[in-house]
Parts: sequence; C-alpha cells; structure tokens
Amino acid sequence: MISDRLKKIICDELYLDPSTIEINDQTEAPQVPGWDSLNHANIIVAIEKDYGVRFKGLEVLKCNNVGALQKLVDSKLSN
Amino acid sequence: MIDFSSLQGNTLWERWQYFAQTTPDKEAIIHYRAADEPVRWTYAALLETANKFSLYLKNIGVKKGDVCAIIIRHNPYFYPFYLGITGIGALPSVLAYPNPRLHPEKFRQGLTGMAQRSGLDWIFTETELEDLILPFVEDKETTVNELFFPLEWNFHKEIDKESLQELNFIRAGIKENEPMLLQHSSGTTGLQKPVVLSHSAILSHVENYGKSIELSENDKIVSWLPLYHDMGLIAAYHLALASGVTSIQIDPFEWVLAPILLFMAASEEKATLTWLPNFAYNLMASKLSDEEMEDITLESLRMIVNCSEPVRAESHKKFFERFNEFGLNENALGAMYAMAETTLTVTQTEPGKRAAEISIDRESLSSGKVVISNDETKNRVCVSSGNIIEECEIKIVDNNRDEVDGDGSGEIAVKSISMFSGYRNYPEKTAEVLDDEGWYYTGDIGFLYNDELYVIGRKKDVIIVAGNNVYPEDVEDVVGKVENVLPGRVIAFGEDDTELGTEQISIVAETNFETEEELKKLRLDILRAGMSVNININKVYLAPSRWLIKSSSGKPSRKANRERIKNKNDEQVWSIK
Repeated sequence: MISDRLKKIICDELYLDPSTIEINDQTEAPQVPGWDSLNHANIIVAIEKDYGVRFKGLEVLKCNNVGALQKLVDSKLSN
Repeated sequence: MIDFSSLQGNTLWERWQYFAQTTPDKEAIIHYRAADEPVRWTYAALLETANKFSLYLKNIGVKKGDVCAIIIRHNPYFYPFYLGITGIGALPSVLAYPNPRLHPEKFRQGLTGMAQRSGLDWIFTETELEDLILPFVEDKETTVNELFFPLEWNFHKEIDKESLQELNFIRAGIKENEPMLLQHSSGTTGLQKPVVLSHSAILSHVENYGKSIELSENDKIVSWLPLYHDMGLIAAYHLALASGVTSIQIDPFEWVLAPILLFMAASEEKATLTWLPNFAYNLMASKLSDEEMEDITLESLRMIVNCSEPVRAESHKKFFERFNEFGLNENALGAMYAMAETTLTVTQTEPGKRAAEISIDRESLSSGKVVISNDETKNRVCVSSGNIIEECEIKIVDNNRDEVDGDGSGEIAVKSISMFSGYRNYPEKTAEVLDDEGWYYTGDIGFLYNDELYVIGRKKDVIIVAGNNVYPEDVEDVVGKVENVLPGRVIAFGEDDTELGTEQISIVAETNFETEEELKKLRLDILRAGMSVNININKVYLAPSRWLIKSSSGKPSRKANRERIKNKNDEQVWSIK
C-alpha cells in the first residue's frame, strides 16, 4: 500500500494538494496531473533524497505503477 | 571516410539493396532492449524480410504513392516493415504512439487533422490500438482505406521468383525525384505540417551531411530518439542505412525512465555517434550515478551532437564535467542546426572539435548587432551550431526579408539541395515560409560569426519542450475550453527551465474565481485538460478579468503578457509555483 510519505513527496514535487488527488498502488504516472517524462526524473530524485536511497535507472524502469515504486523504496530501506 | 561517389543506388531501396549485396553480413540495425539481448539485423536479413513485407503490402492493395501511417512501439520488425513500404514506392509516415494520458477522442481528432492534410491512405499499428483507431477508419469522411496489424503477419513462406519479379518491376518504376517519405511537425489539433521528402533529397542529404561529420564505414550510431522525429528518423536511421553503417536503436520510452541505457548501449557496442536534444545533457548529468556508470566507458563516442532545441553552454559544461572521468572526449561535444524542411542538417560543427562558444554583449544583441564582449555581467554566451554543410546556403534577414550586414542578427533563411517542395496540401502555410527563389524562412533568429551559425532565439511563438515543438495555439485552445476560464482569455508561452536545460509550458488565463480553494481547483482542471491532449502544462498563472494585454489584432498578446509575467511584480496574478 502507498504510504502517505510517498504520496506527499509526489504531490509536493508536482504542486498538488494530496487531499484532492487519488494515488494508489495501481496509479500510473500518466494518470497524475503534471507527471510527465521531464518531471519523472525530478520525482525520482525527490524520493531518493527524502528516503536517503539511490535507485538505478533499470530498477525504476521496471516500476509500472506507484505500488511498484513503493515496493522499490521498501526494498532499499530494508537492505 | 566513406566515398559517397562510389555508392550505388538512386533510390533508397536501390541503396539498401546495394549494401545487402556488398556487405550482407554487416549489422544494419541493433535493436537494443533493456531487459533482453539485442536483436541484430544484418543488411541481407533486413532486406530479405523487407521484401516479404513489400509483397504482403502489394497483395493487400497498397500502391505506389500511398501514404502509410505507422503507429508501432519499439519493435524489431518495425525496420523491415518500414523498408518494405518503400520497396513498393509507398510513403512511410511514422506517427507517435499514443500516450496513455491522451484522450481517445483527442487522439482521433489529431489523426483526422493529419489525414486531411497528408491524405493518409493506410494505418499500420498494433492490435492493442484497434479499438482506439477503428472508429476513425470507419468514419465516412476519412481518407484511410483500412487498418492492418503487420506484426501479426506470418512470413514462413519464401518469396517465389514470380513475386520477386513483380516487386522488381514496381521498383524499376520508382524514380529518384519521387516522394519517399512523409514527416509531420509536432502539434496536436491539426496544426501539423506534413513534409514530403524525395529519394534524391534524402540521398543528397546523407552525402552532404555524411561528409560534414566525416562518416566512415566503421562508425556506429546509437540513438534513443523517436523515429517520428526528424532527428531520429534522418540522423539516426536513414543516414546509417543509406551509408552502410550500423544503427543501434533504443526505445525512447525506456530511455526516459532509464537514461543510462544510451551509455550502456554505446559502451557495449562501441558506438561512435549520437544526437541529443539539449535537455538530455542536463538530465543525464544530474541523474546518472557513479554506481550506474560502473563498467561504462564513453571513449568510443567521437561525436555527440546537440540539436532540436537551443544549445546551452552550461549544459555542455555540466555534461563534460560529469562524464569526463568515464572517458568522454571534450571534443566530442558538437552541435548542429537542422529542420525537417531541409531534410535535416543546415549547419554542423567540425568533427574532433568542441562546439565554439563566444560571449556577446546582450544589449547590442537585443538591437540586432553582434558585439563581442568581455564584461561577464553583460554577456550572453552563445554556442556555435557549426559551418554550413555542402549544397546549402544561409542568409540572415531583417523583418522585410532583406539581408542584414555582416555583424547583424536576424531571421535565418535557408536554401538547400535537400529542400522540401512545400507542405503537403497546405499552400497557404508554404507561401508564408518559402519564397519564389527557394529560400525557406525558418522563423529562428541567429547570426553568423567566423562563418559559423549561432542560433539565439525564435521569431515564432513555438515552444520547444525537450526537443518537441509545441504550438501555443494548441495549448490555448484546450485551456480556453476549461470551465471557469474566461473564453478566449488565455495565452501560452515557453519559460526557461535552466535546471532541466529546456523550456516548459506556462499559461496565463483569466478567471472570475478569487478564493485560494477555487483557484487551486481550476489549476488542476487546467492541468487535466492539458493531459487529455498529451500536453504537460508546467505553470498556471491565473488573473482577473481584463488583465491580459491585447495585441493590435484584439487577441491577447503572448509577447506582452509573457513579459508582464516575467517581471513578477503583479499582485493580481495567482500561481502556486
């Protein structure tokens, strides 16, 4: 399940109000206003900074929705 | 260096066949994939499969001169299919695969607009898009004959002699001055401008451009650029196949998510040449970690050519400083100036030499004069796009299209042997940009210094986002229809994003909304409206009624209002960032 922390990072980066945006496990980037290919890199960097982790490009490539991104964060934190 | 005069073939098909016969086992295309081994097409295998596609296309009724739209994702069969279309004298036209955020109706509207101008005859796509495209094909008004799924075709049977003779007969009737392909400029709602290029325009361009970059048989091109974009299609695809060199093709969607793929492919395959829009320099320099760069060497890359959006000195600096330790040669940092209307390249920096940078006095430049300056507080650093390639001419003109003095800046006008013959079915747009003497007025502003071209801005309002042209009219049209935006009271413009090294889209819209909550909701509605036509609006400025300054035509002025926003001292304007 998506943590409030991850949702907040994404919304902050896109200047969205988390209370007005639905983001769940199945949400894909194109469904979120402002989340395009240019902003994608900024969102990933913001997640890395906030959690203090580093992703490899190929790991991010495998994340086809926000749920998969959350799992990637969790796996980094448990290492 | 390749001796272009020795290469045979007056049409693209003849040229490809020449390489299939003379260098059959040489790799033509390396179809690179993030999760799998690459698929490798030799020249012989590529042409053999292309022949099968040609026969299939002929049998379903595709004829010489028909326009064949291709909407297919990164797939190894794309290449022989594209060649197969050319092999019966039809015109391939690569269209962008629809982004999931694009509203189906908007996508079909885009196709309708495109079909009206280009006269699309056939659509070739994937089964996944059948439901999306079929209503468009079944529309009574459409020019499209039918929809096909070429990736599903079965090719177990070899081509018999008789069929091959039929194909050869068709091919003998294809002349070098006849249309070979059709490209579309960017845009979403019918503003696309179709450019048709002949076999001779492309082959001349391959020769002239190939010479300018000293293309050799040992070169290997690597690219993630989409093939619906002129830089991807001409530089990274046609240039390779018409010169007998190898092209490594990466999925653009995968590259955006994992930019390391370009360097992985370059390092593994020892690629020598690549073309990138400016934003890619910033993105890669800031995103790729040392961990990802482990085992990667960039020593083989002899030219990295910056093109498709204004070249920024700070992007080259950032890129070189980041990747120098991984073997990047400083002198590989080149640049070019190019456009679909001249097939591609107009100017190119010299191989083995970093693109020159000069400091110009900003104030003089704004009044059209080029004055070298050492005063850092008043300077603007301009990056060269290089020298004019062979059989191409440039002149710098003023607003009356009169040539300016040697040290003046103005609109760049171009004449080339590889020039398009006008936008297809768009005579009014052609007349605006092409004069009787064959000069094409680009709408870009620049100057010549030491015989090199420096591009410094645009006369046109087009916004270039990561190498893609976005027309403000498209954005204004969609935002103007959002509820609570005052009808017709919106302008769109590009704002520099120095961190990303590109422009982003901003809009100013008038509304009667006043409270923070209402304005936030309206911003979200505007962002969603942009998403429905695959336009990402970065900044939303909301202003009260009658805020926008009108131009003499009575419409809100983009230039005047952009300046007003830039000054950032108007309390009436609401924006969240």
